[in-house]
Amino acid sequence: MYEEKNMEPDFLKRPKTNPFRTPDYYFESLEDRVMGNIEYQKKRESSSTRIIRLLKPALGLAASFALVYVLVYYPINTFLLKDTAKTAVTDTITADWLNEYSINLTSVDENLIVNAIFSEDTTNLAETNPDEFLAYLSTGLNDVEIYSEIQN
Amino acid sequence: MIVSGMTNDQQIVDSLKDPVTKELAFRHLISKYKERLYWHIRKIVLNHDDTDDVLQNTFIKIWNGLDSFRAESSLFTWLYRIATNESITFLNQRKRKNMSSLTDENQYLIDNLEGDSYFDGDEWQMLLQKAVATLPDKQRLVFNMKYFDEIKYEDMSEILETSVGALKASYHHAVKKVEEFVKSHETRIEP
Repeated sequence: MYEEKNMEPDFLKRPKTNPFRTPDYYFESLEDRVMGNIEYQKKRESSSTRIIRLLKPALGLAASFALVYVLVYYPINTFLLKDTAKTAVTDTITADWLNEYSINLTSVDENLIVNAIFSEDTTNLAETNPDEFLAYLSTGLNDVEIYSEIQN
Repeated sequence: MIVSGMTNDQQIVDSLKDPVTKELAFRHLISKYKERLYWHIRKIVLNHDDTDDVLQNTFIKIWNGLDSFRAESSLFTWLYRIATNESITFLNQRKRKNMSSLTDENQYLIDNLEGDSYFDGDEWQMLLQKAVATLPDKQRLVFNMKYFDEIKYEDMSEILETSVGALKASYHHAVKKVEEFVKSHETRIEP
């Protein structure tokens, strides 16, 4: 690249000079400053290590509590208590449902039932037209079934 | 003990491995490479104060990374690689802090150059530095290392971990751009 001198851009032919300078004696003290910085860094690291060493037991204890919370308290709270709550809701629903849909035997008069069974009063039945009675009974039957019922 | 007569890199590296001689060997390493690394960093960040910060960080990184140094690459290329990475990281951090748009990216470097009290160059040298400052990061690195530091492409390839062919292409593009910038601005410089 640019081996042929006549192909070189003009600025490459100019003499190279360093336009930058440093403060006086800058390089003379550089080793001491670098080593000073390294020492400072070492001290800072060792002090942070000492702080960590002091905090270690407390951090360990806190971590243990956190672990116990995560492994024991949280699952109990989340799963077991939730199941208990679900069961309680189910129990309530069952009781309500039974109350609503079951026959309340305490409110039924036993005497009325006995009288109805053993009564010989057929007035209500006599008043019923046999054709109407047959029509009522046959509402759920088709023609063939009605015919076979009549024949029998 | 090798330390007292430490002149070559291998002696320095051997002494750095021994805890007894480590610190003294490191002082030798700083002494040997401080100027070369300083000027390498200075051409990237341009300002003396920034260069000083980056150079200090570079030596601290070198000290911390001594155990990870393998003799696969030479000490010189390893040091240059750390210095280059530190410089680029520093510039990126500064650019992120100061930049409001991508077009300001190189303006930051030019401002850095103009505000540097340790720049003694004439108008032509200022123009050349501004032209270099407008280059993309990679091209700027390659141009500086080839034009100013006269580092061989093979060494540059190890430092920048880029193929020689790619480096040659980068340098070629950089030279073209610098030439165009100089031509378009040179007429404004009074003779």
